[in-house]
Amino acid sequence: MKGIISVIVVGLIFCGCEKTISLKYKGNTSRIIIEGEVTNVAGPYWVKISRSIGLTDTGSYPGIDTAVVSINDDAGNREVLVGQGNGMYRTFSLAGVEGRTYTLNVTIGEQVYTAQSRMPLRVPFDSIKVEKVRVTGDTQYNIIPVYIDPAERGNNYRYVLTLNNRLVNQHFVQNDDVKSGFINTDRLEINDDDLKFKRGDSIRLEVQCIDKNVALYYTTLAQIADSGPGGGTTPNNPPNNISNGALGLFSAHTTQTMSRTMP
Amino acid sequence: MCKKLVASVLFIFCISHLAAQIRHTISGTIRQGSSGETLTGVTVAVVERPGAGVTTNDYGFYSLTLPAGNYTLRFTHVGYKQELVPVKLESNIAVDVRMSDDSRMQEVVVSAKKENGNLTKATMGTEVLNMKTAAKIPVVFGEKDLVKTLQLMPGIKSNGEGTNGFSVRGGATDQNLILLDEAPVYNASHLLGVFSTFNSDAIKDATIIKGNSPAQFGGRLSSVLDIRMKEGNNREFQTSGGIGLISSRLTVEGPIQKDKSSFIVSGRRTYADLFAKLSSDLKDTKLYFYDLNVKANLSINAKNKLFFSGYFGKDVLGVSTLFGSRWGNSTGTLRWNSVLSSKLFSNTSFIYSNYDFNVGFTSGGSETNFNSHIRDLNLKEDLTFYANSRNTIRCGFNVIHHTITPTRAGGTNIVNNTVSRKGLENAVYLSNSFRASDRINIDYGLRWSFYNVLGDKTGKTYYTWEPRVSMSYRVTDEASLKAGYARNTQNLHLMSNSTGGSPTDQWIGNSRNIRPEVADQYSVGFSRTLSNNVYELNAEAYFKTMQHQIDYKDGADLNTVPDIESELLFGKGRAYGFEVLLKKKKGKLTGWVGYTLSKTERQINGINNGVWYDAKQDRTHDLSVVGIYTLDPRWTVSGAFVYTTGNAVTFPTGKYVVDDMVIYQYARRNADRMPATHRLDISLTYEKPARGKYQHSWSFGLYNVYGRRNPYSITFKENKTDPRKVDAVQTSLFQWVPSVTYNFKF
Repeated sequence: MKGIISVIVVGLIFCGCEKTISLKYKGNTSRIIIEGEVTNVAGPYWVKISRSIGLTDTGSYPGIDTAVVSINDDAGNREVLVGQGNGMYRTFSLAGVEGRTYTLNVTIGEQVYTAQSRMPLRVPFDSIKVEKVRVTGDTQYNIIPVYIDPAERGNNYRYVLTLNNRLVNQHFVQNDDVKSGFINTDRLEINDDDLKFKRGDSIRLEVQCIDKNVALYYTTLAQIADSGPGGGTTPNNPPNNISNGALGLFSAHTTQTMSRTMP
Repeated sequence: MCKKLVASVLFIFCISHLAAQIRHTISGTIRQGSSGETLTGVTVAVVERPGAGVTTNDYGFYSLTLPAGNYTLRFTHVGYKQELVPVKLESNIAVDVRMSDDSRMQEVVVSAKKENGNLTKATMGTEVLNMKTAAKIPVVFGEKDLVKTLQLMPGIKSNGEGTNGFSVRGGATDQNLILLDEAPVYNASHLLGVFSTFNSDAIKDATIIKGNSPAQFGGRLSSVLDIRMKEGNNREFQTSGGIGLISSRLTVEGPIQKDKSSFIVSGRRTYADLFAKLSSDLKDTKLYFYDLNVKANLSINAKNKLFFSGYFGKDVLGVSTLFGSRWGNSTGTLRWNSVLSSKLFSNTSFIYSNYDFNVGFTSGGSETNFNSHIRDLNLKEDLTFYANSRNTIRCGFNVIHHTITPTRAGGTNIVNNTVSRKGLENAVYLSNSFRASDRINIDYGLRWSFYNVLGDKTGKTYYTWEPRVSMSYRVTDEASLKAGYARNTQNLHLMSNSTGGSPTDQWIGNSRNIRPEVADQYSVGFSRTLSNNVYELNAEAYFKTMQHQIDYKDGADLNTVPDIESELLFGKGRAYGFEVLLKKKKGKLTGWVGYTLSKTERQINGINNGVWYDAKQDRTHDLSVVGIYTLDPRWTVSGAFVYTTGNAVTFPTGKYVVDDMVIYQYARRNADRMPATHRLDISLTYEKPARGKYQHSWSFGLYNVYGRRNPYSITFKENKTDPRKVDAVQTSLFQWVPSVTYNFKF
């Protein structure tokens, strides 16, 4: 909501001009990054353990290959993941099942990191609806994922958007706080400053049903990215579900992917 | 015991009653000669008795009690000719005076006595804005604006270009009590902060008190901005207006009963949208605001007067049927002034204030809208008792009923379950302005405020005692020292977790979890006049502590979350600083230099590991230089230069990847700074000499003369050619904004 106001106002009354500036950054303390997922489709599932790097560094993210990594679920299954180098660890047998809660355990030296995520029941996705609207002379595309939200509250959805095989580095989350139990009509809040859709573009949308903590993580990221009048919260490391101060996220979610061409 | 206490209180209040002489009272109303507007803050001095003297109240009324005898009263006010009135005091008498404009304002008037109200008054941290001066100060789009002008004073900081609100002595935007004819205005800006809601054509004067407010004011921590609307010309009909690039204004005023009562109607509207309609690209876009000020007063008899004032303003923003938003304030005040006796002045006010915000979208064929509002019903009684020439006692009460509806969603398929919150904000106060000696003035008072949370089964009530004291000691005829202490409480809180401010921000009252915010401010000051009162120097230092400050959890969406209180974090704040203001008040060149050195910090449990951090509005340095130079009676050139340290912000320090997307790593909160903002604005005013009743003038302005790209926001993005690199991209809003305005009056 705020995003829309800011875009219109900046566009209409201010001669907003942008320039790249150089800033002095505070030194960075490298932190452990843990990223893992379990989905409802067959594995392998991957856990990646690395370290963060300074903002202006251009090198790669150093992987940690000395960790002991395991995942267990609330049905009594447990698997120790096998290191593949570059900080990557994989499963061989674990199966992701909707409704189960998964616990990730990572031990690096003396430090133990744990995370928990519950895979929600899958909400079937029907299609991607695209609306074409004219806003201040430009054609704007509204992308609306079509699904029927279950009557019970507490459903959270995350979307990963790919445009012409290029990942769009933006975070999209929807929930049923305001409307619950209906066909979704809300569009994705896409920041189209650096992103222009046109007729014939192919888009792919991965739809994830996620738990509350995972949703909070991505909602926070989306809020930080929103700038302008009324937008932009004070940035911070988003609250995550991993203990002991590691950054990153462990997400058990369902996944479905749909594609279409822009009309 | 109790009797003893009452006796000693009476003793303190009436020390000079000990002198057993026959005394009489002089009272009256001071008005402007040409229009009949009452004048606030006129100094009434007695030539024969340098220690005696008062200033007129908000309705131009004064009362002075002296022993029988022959006196000469001297009436002085900035921008007006001094009036000397001889009186023979044998009984209670009324002396009403009409003061005329001093067109020789630019010339150095050497007065026998160095009269300067600022030296003798005990009040601290107070600035009165003269609308005549404000008219000549350059502003963006040439729209003279009292809030923008106030931001050129030390201790009052703009929150930045394009954001609404201001910060006083390290306080937050919502900690300013903005009153328009006593009615609180909850959102004081139009067009998301470009203009203030106050149409300067309808404003008589504005006073800002930076924390050390007298006991009759309360409800916000940082400041009181008390804005008074004009009453209208009670002698003849007058039309005035202006045509600018962005908006036009029109004011009509005139007598209802000649010399007794009058009305004023003043309207303003922007018309950018009318031009937009001509462009095919923008024809479906709506973007404008309008506001209307109305005021009328009616004399019932010589001792009773009724005033009605109203304000109605709206901002509208929309794009065809996709998106539409409107928000605005409306206020209404009905006041009854009564001179109960020559020594006792009463003002009773019934006040209504409303702010609402609506926004609607259509997406996927269905409609969603959000709305929120805050509505007040307010009763105030204020009594001023001019006990004698040394004591002016003020007491009264205030009851405000708040109805607050937090953001409520509506539209297709939305079941609304948001309920309004209600609260009763009450206060009782007593204060005395005590002239202890010719050199010492003490204002002291006590305000007892209590807030009832209504609708809550437990019926929670918060009580706070708010002592206020300020004093001045006149060291020499040219210099005085001041000190003050004040406690303020705040029962309404603005929920805003954005870095700027937004019309979507909503107010919330106290509850079981949300306790009143409390601030204690200690200040000391020094004032002196230089070169025969041509210059005035004021310096103040303050230290302020704030309790029960509110912040938000990360990721809190304050508009849609079902239980907003679960998203709040609480902590405390502290602010300290030094302000200096050097004014040149006379001569061809007038103006001021203001400088503030300050620090504002917060400590919130759950943020920054509970360690103190710089508040967003912390500004180390803040400098403003304002100059108005009168070339000749027709041409005036003016300039304003500002320099401020950038806001405290949080930049990323590192980065990592989750799900193939780069995520920034942050360390300490607000450890970084936006680049400094500085800017020079100039304006040139041409006033054609009046021909009969007809007067007109032209103003030409240039905002941001040297085109500095001041930072509005900084975002971090992947470099387009090398995605491994991160670019910091700064957005600026205004680079060179020329303006022209035509004003007329007949």
